[in-house]
Amino acid sequence: MIEAVLRADGGRITAALAARFRDLDLAEEALAEACARAVSAWADAPPANPAGWLYRVATRVALDSLRRNAVRHATTLFEPEPEPTVEDLMTATPLIPDERLRLIFVCCHPAIHPDARAALTLRLVCGLSAQEIARAFLIAEPTLLQRLTRAKRKIADAGVPFEVPGPDHWGERLDAVLSTLEVAYAHAHADGAGTGRHAGYADEMLGITATLAAMLPTESEVQALAATVRFAEARRPARVDADGMMVPLADQDPMLWDASLITEGRRYLARILTHPLAVRGVQALIHAEWCARGSLANPAPWPAILTLYDALLACRDDPVTRLNRAVALAEVCGPAIAFEEVDALSHAGLADYLPYHAVRADLLARLGLADGARQAYDAALALAPAGAERRWLERGRSKCMD
Amino acid sequence: MHYMILIYEDESVYGDKNDTPEMQAIVAKHWDLVSDLGDQYKTGAGLAMTSAATTVRTVNGKQTIHDGPFAETREQLGGYYVIEADNLDDAIAVARRVPVRFDGSIEIRPLLHPPGK
Repeated sequence: MIEAVLRADGGRITAALAARFRDLDLAEEALAEACARAVSAWADAPPANPAGWLYRVATRVALDSLRRNAVRHATTLFEPEPEPTVEDLMTATPLIPDERLRLIFVCCHPAIHPDARAALTLRLVCGLSAQEIARAFLIAEPTLLQRLTRAKRKIADAGVPFEVPGPDHWGERLDAVLSTLEVAYAHAHADGAGTGRHAGYADEMLGITATLAAMLPTESEVQALAATVRFAEARRPARVDADGMMVPLADQDPMLWDASLITEGRRYLARILTHPLAVRGVQALIHAEWCARGSLANPAPWPAILTLYDALLACRDDPVTRLNRAVALAEVCGPAIAFEEVDALSHAGLADYLPYHAVRADLLARLGLADGARQAYDAALALAPAGAERRWLERGRSKCMD
Repeated sequence: MHYMILIYEDESVYGDKNDTPEMQAIVAKHWDLVSDLGDQYKTGAGLAMTSAATTVRTVNGKQTIHDGPFAETREQLGGYYVIEADNLDDAIAVARRVPVRFDGSIEIRPLLHPPGK
């Protein structure tokens, strides 16, 4: 019960407490204490508004803690607020102010280390446990806790404001928010199986991107990210076959895709089409193009995908974009031209990037260069992919043995 | 809050003396910023080249004196401001306006106490 309330409203409660007390630690501790008290207080019957109960009790806990500190340091004493009666707490339905946007901008401030931003956002805004985040990020829980602590201390010591930034710095700040959510979602999406341990918080990513899209309805890139997360999640049921092997996008059966998520994604997309497209807008269009396929009987939309990658390259020219474009290029113009493109990419920057080796392996195999393909498959497998992808790479490699 | 704004640049872009035309040009820009900042500016100074730097090192309680800055780096500390700002964003907005000749890094550090206390 408490866990479900936290999943649904934890971010909102934490944000309201943090905005009021300007102290992330105090907000977190007060909410944790309120949850501890809820265990016994809700034993007989939960209150009419469980989230409101937690918010009020946590507010009270925070005020008590501040008062104790004030007494200890002999600073200004402030009058205690009247203690709410148990009955009042159980029946009242107080409004929790929605300060999540402020909290998101605090957690995703560019002055915070990029690794810590995504973790902090998942912890405070999405209400995930440290254990869940550590599992998804493939790091030990103490390491994650240390990162969170360090980030919170930086926020407090450096004076990161609990404010939504002014319009003059909006661009860079919003970009930091969106890239943080992309990092967080990449961890949720990484395991193709969906039943795997990383997939646990895809729902929270749908939730936070929806919240952000509702709060910033005119920001195209925000709408685009909300669309992309939906299109990507829609395909989850088709990403792995019955044997637990990854299914590449072009081989996925569109009948298995979640039609309602695709509809939702299109609704977000429709809000941005009137604006000139930036990076995330084009990425969302690429996803939308795939999601429009309808059936395996229809040809895969490679020519359209290639055109969209050309457009993406115009907004963001980096090796990963070029690599993805080469995949489409291979389908439209043949593997030889695509391999030339991939071969021209700097090997150094991509050596640890699994898709680079996987794409090379596939192109080399198609060109009949079995030795090179095997080496590329080995390089990909050496990067320890998750089970579904590993099986797919192993099958590709075994085909080069003939 | 009070913040120190530390200016790191490759000092050789100003020539090998403290009063080259390049140096005079950047100093003029700093004075423009100081007057724009008004009360937000608390104190600050430009530093002489690191060729004038001397370092007193303490190792295991023993002090030794060395020629030069404490570390040889590609960019050197060339000056600082102390400003009062509402928060980090406010301080970042000031740091963005600090002039540099070509490349450079402006570090923002909160002061633990107001200056001079």
